[in-house]
Amino acid sequence: MQKRNSYLTPLLLLITLFCTTPIFAQKRYTISGTVRDAATGETLIGATVKLQGTSGQTAAATNAYGFYSLTGNEGEYEFTVTYTGYTTTTQKVTLDKSIKLNIELQSGSELKEVTINATDRKNENVRSPQMGLDKINMKDLDNIPVIFGEKDVLKTIQLLPGVKSGGEGNTGFFVRGGAADQNLILLDEATVYNSSHLLGFFSTFNADAVKDVGLYKGGMPAQYGGRLSSVLDVKMQDGNNKEFGAEGGIGLIASRLKVEGPIVKNKGSFMISARRTYIDFLLKASPDSATRGNTLNFYDINAKVNYKFDDKNTLFVSGYFGQDNIGIKNLFDNDWGNTTATIRLNHVFNSRLFSNTSLIYNKYSYSIKLLDEDNNADVTSLIRDFNFKEDLQYFSDKHTLRFGLQATHHRIAPSDITTSGSSSFNDLSIENRYGVELATYLSDEWKVTDKLSFLYGLRFSGFSLLGPGTFNTYNADGEVASEATYKSGEFAKSYFNIEPRFSASYSLDDENSIKASYNRNTQNIHILTNANSSSPTDQYVMSSNNIKPELADQVAFGYFKNAANNAYEFSGEVYYKWLQNQIEYKNGAQLIANANVESELIYGSGRAYGFELYAKKTKGRLTGWLSYTLSRTERKFDQLNSGNYFPARQDRTHDLALVGIYNLSKRWTFAANYVYSTGNAVTYPAGKYNIGGLTTYYYTDRNASRMPYTGRLDISATLKGKETKKFKSSWSFGLYNALNRQNPYAINFRDKKDDATRTEAVQISLFGVIPSVTWNFKF
Amino acid sequence: MLNKIYTLLLLATGSLLLASCEKVIDVDIKTPPNQLVIEGNITDQLDLQTIKITQSVPYTDSNVYPPVQNADVSVTTNDGVVLHFKESTPGNYTFGPYKGIPGKTYTLRVVIETAIYTASSTMPAPVRADSLSIVNLKFGSSLRKIVAVHYQDPETTTNQYRFIMKVNNTLTRRVYADNDRLTNGNNVKEQLFYGSDDDNEELDTNDEVEVEMQCIDNDIFKYWYTLSQQTQNGPGGGVTPGNPPSNINNNSLGYFSAHTTQTKTITVQ
Repeated sequence: MQKRNSYLTPLLLLITLFCTTPIFAQKRYTISGTVRDAATGETLIGATVKLQGTSGQTAAATNAYGFYSLTGNEGEYEFTVTYTGYTTTTQKVTLDKSIKLNIELQSGSELKEVTINATDRKNENVRSPQMGLDKINMKDLDNIPVIFGEKDVLKTIQLLPGVKSGGEGNTGFFVRGGAADQNLILLDEATVYNSSHLLGFFSTFNADAVKDVGLYKGGMPAQYGGRLSSVLDVKMQDGNNKEFGAEGGIGLIASRLKVEGPIVKNKGSFMISARRTYIDFLLKASPDSATRGNTLNFYDINAKVNYKFDDKNTLFVSGYFGQDNIGIKNLFDNDWGNTTATIRLNHVFNSRLFSNTSLIYNKYSYSIKLLDEDNNADVTSLIRDFNFKEDLQYFSDKHTLRFGLQATHHRIAPSDITTSGSSSFNDLSIENRYGVELATYLSDEWKVTDKLSFLYGLRFSGFSLLGPGTFNTYNADGEVASEATYKSGEFAKSYFNIEPRFSASYSLDDENSIKASYNRNTQNIHILTNANSSSPTDQYVMSSNNIKPELADQVAFGYFKNAANNAYEFSGEVYYKWLQNQIEYKNGAQLIANANVESELIYGSGRAYGFELYAKKTKGRLTGWLSYTLSRTERKFDQLNSGNYFPARQDRTHDLALVGIYNLSKRWTFAANYVYSTGNAVTYPAGKYNIGGLTTYYYTDRNASRMPYTGRLDISATLKGKETKKFKSSWSFGLYNALNRQNPYAINFRDKKDDATRTEAVQISLFGVIPSVTWNFKF
Repeated sequence: MLNKIYTLLLLATGSLLLASCEKVIDVDIKTPPNQLVIEGNITDQLDLQTIKITQSVPYTDSNVYPPVQNADVSVTTNDGVVLHFKESTPGNYTFGPYKGIPGKTYTLRVVIETAIYTASSTMPAPVRADSLSIVNLKFGSSLRKIVAVHYQDPETTTNQYRFIMKVNNTLTRRVYADNDRLTNGNNVKEQLFYGSDDDNEELDTNDEVEVEMQCIDNDIFKYWYTLSQQTQNGPGGGVTPGNPPSNINNNSLGYFSAHTTQTKTITVQ
């Protein structure tokens, strides 16, 4: 250990230089430790820790592993730890030496109170320099009504300001004018490339296994990078390290089961959570033999173990595996899924320096099997990453420094087709593509004064496309202009970018603050898609000699206010975002199994701006929020719309979500949400003509028309069963689209059925009212 | 072909999970000026070759397209022969009987008042359709009958095909276009996916199906392929539609295609 510390000395010297440490100071000592849930031993992320005494006061939040570190002058203090939904603890501490203090908080629900979130809420949202961050309270998820009664992280974030849904019942989302592939979706630090099941109706995140969800819409801290528009950071639960338990739910479409418990009490635990849909079990029961042969299901498994060797070293191993299967007997099979694995080591070098080292693997792959003998083909595709991250946090008096290094190796196998016998198709293998991303970053959260704080940093990112392979460049007509061949490991093309990140907050008083932020993000992995929702056959491409890294610059300003002892939170934010090197594909592009797919692309720019309002009530019988977004999202391509800006498909002028959760009694909770949004920007025909005997439509301005608006009310009721010490259960009843409104999914144009000399527009709607019931249990 | 897989997937999910419903809505569309539409074909059959010139109409009008009269229409072969087309009925310009020859490039020239429109197209070598067959597909609980075209794709050339299907002498409202990118040199069974969407009737036993197989050049393939993609509706409205890339210059809509053609019929069993 001594040796490692000496190795760190130069680094620490550097940090000391970087910080403006007062030299006149009295003796100063540090209190550090971990904050956990008293019942389960789960670490608590973002809990507020505060030292208050005659010789000063200081406060901070626990990091992603529940670790905190506070430094103060020698003296007597009151040490307070608060966390939403938990009972605040306060104790006296004497700082006459650096001390270690681990804290366990009692969950509010343990107190059997009627009102949730009864404990004092911190005003972190007002004081923190972080902007554009939304946290989801996982407890709210139990009550918010969703389609089929399957609680879902991604559908809940769509109810937040600045986040737009990918479509009805869909888990795809757009953040502040970004595209669906511009969200960095992380599960225990591993990138999840395709976050949807069943063509988007479910997300890959099983809410049972999720501990914490943070969505960064802007002002991303420097440790995040690689996507333009948002970071969705999902952290899995560690598992109860005190006692064994199980919980689960039985629903109409899917069932879930989670088991957790200690490996060694208070030192290590495991958690394994699985769920599976059983629509196809119903199909199997069908009297119709044709239906019986079809498959339609998904399942996923989250698993995690952790072990605390000592107070300084903790190891976490976590993984996710999910798979979708859709098939029609004797016709085709389509499977797709993600796999992730993360190994992490937390090491506390000393009371001020916290390190996390991660080794990460993630893969997304799909396969399509055509089963007709004369047309048989097996098409596979995958994208796979190996990732190394080293992240260090240094807690100083007024500064929290964060710095580290990230290295990722990508492999994309675009398409491999194998056939047999008399197939119409040929075997085909499109060259794999390899790439390396390297990033290093440094950021500092600096409390300049009691009122003013900064969070600023730099991220330096590099991307290299590697051989082996033949790399073509294309002219404007999409024909090969030049060709270059590289050997394994040779650099075919490299890009370097500096990404500044900056945000500041100024507290007007305890309950009011203003904030501003600027950030630049870059992106080197791109999805070629024109559909709103993610499709299992999405094609991934890396930056190359043809494709430049996408760039986004965003500025945002906001006003934050809490009222009535933080029972109400208000915020208003405005943002403007510039996007460069955006990608679209040409009309009629052939994306699948095309070695020259880059010849089908065009490049342009974009801009997005908007105003977001958020009002939240966090205490009392009635809780919930109102979110409203007024925004505009546009793209510009020389080859489209005469080179003029046009609305992106997800451009919706107004987006409104109203969420209310009402605790009627100890047993009954009612919830409702209402969403309203302007229709998508779509291209309607302006005229028509006849080609080949068929009515053909003439299009002028791109996305110049609007689909009708979407409005939907969902309601739910949760009934808690009789609780015993050992067993808890609840029933959830839901009505999705309770008003049975026909919301637009697509608009088709066709000749009138009864009068072929006329055309008509037909609105397709997916879901009417859908009831659901789920039984949840825990013991 | 592979692009149709996604359609299949949606059909599968749709038939099992979703009960979509539709209603006719009013849409607010601004009216653009009428556009010139040229549809020209030169085939390898000894017949009257036709160039049709019409105008587009606003979306809200009835499907009656005004013919464009008194145009000067000619087609020149790559060896310099000029074919002067005559307006036989309003907007229909014909020449012949004339038989196009594979391998030759034809250049269309249309003069309307002072505006000149040109396009050229090379007639590919013909590929013979060997036969048609009926394929039974089971989607959920419903059985669908689909017509397949069998042909031997030549290995040494790149080939593009367009298929036109008539059921009981009625043109179906689907556009079929494919190339040999994934099937080069093979004995191909091309399934013409067809169903009750796109305003078509499903195939029934004893229906007479006629399939015309055209061998088209690459520009014309792009044209039909783009159109064919727009008739498929994926999630959220599918591909953003646009005008298919015309090989005629000067912003004319339509196409000029020199292609081979062959017709086969089958009775659905």
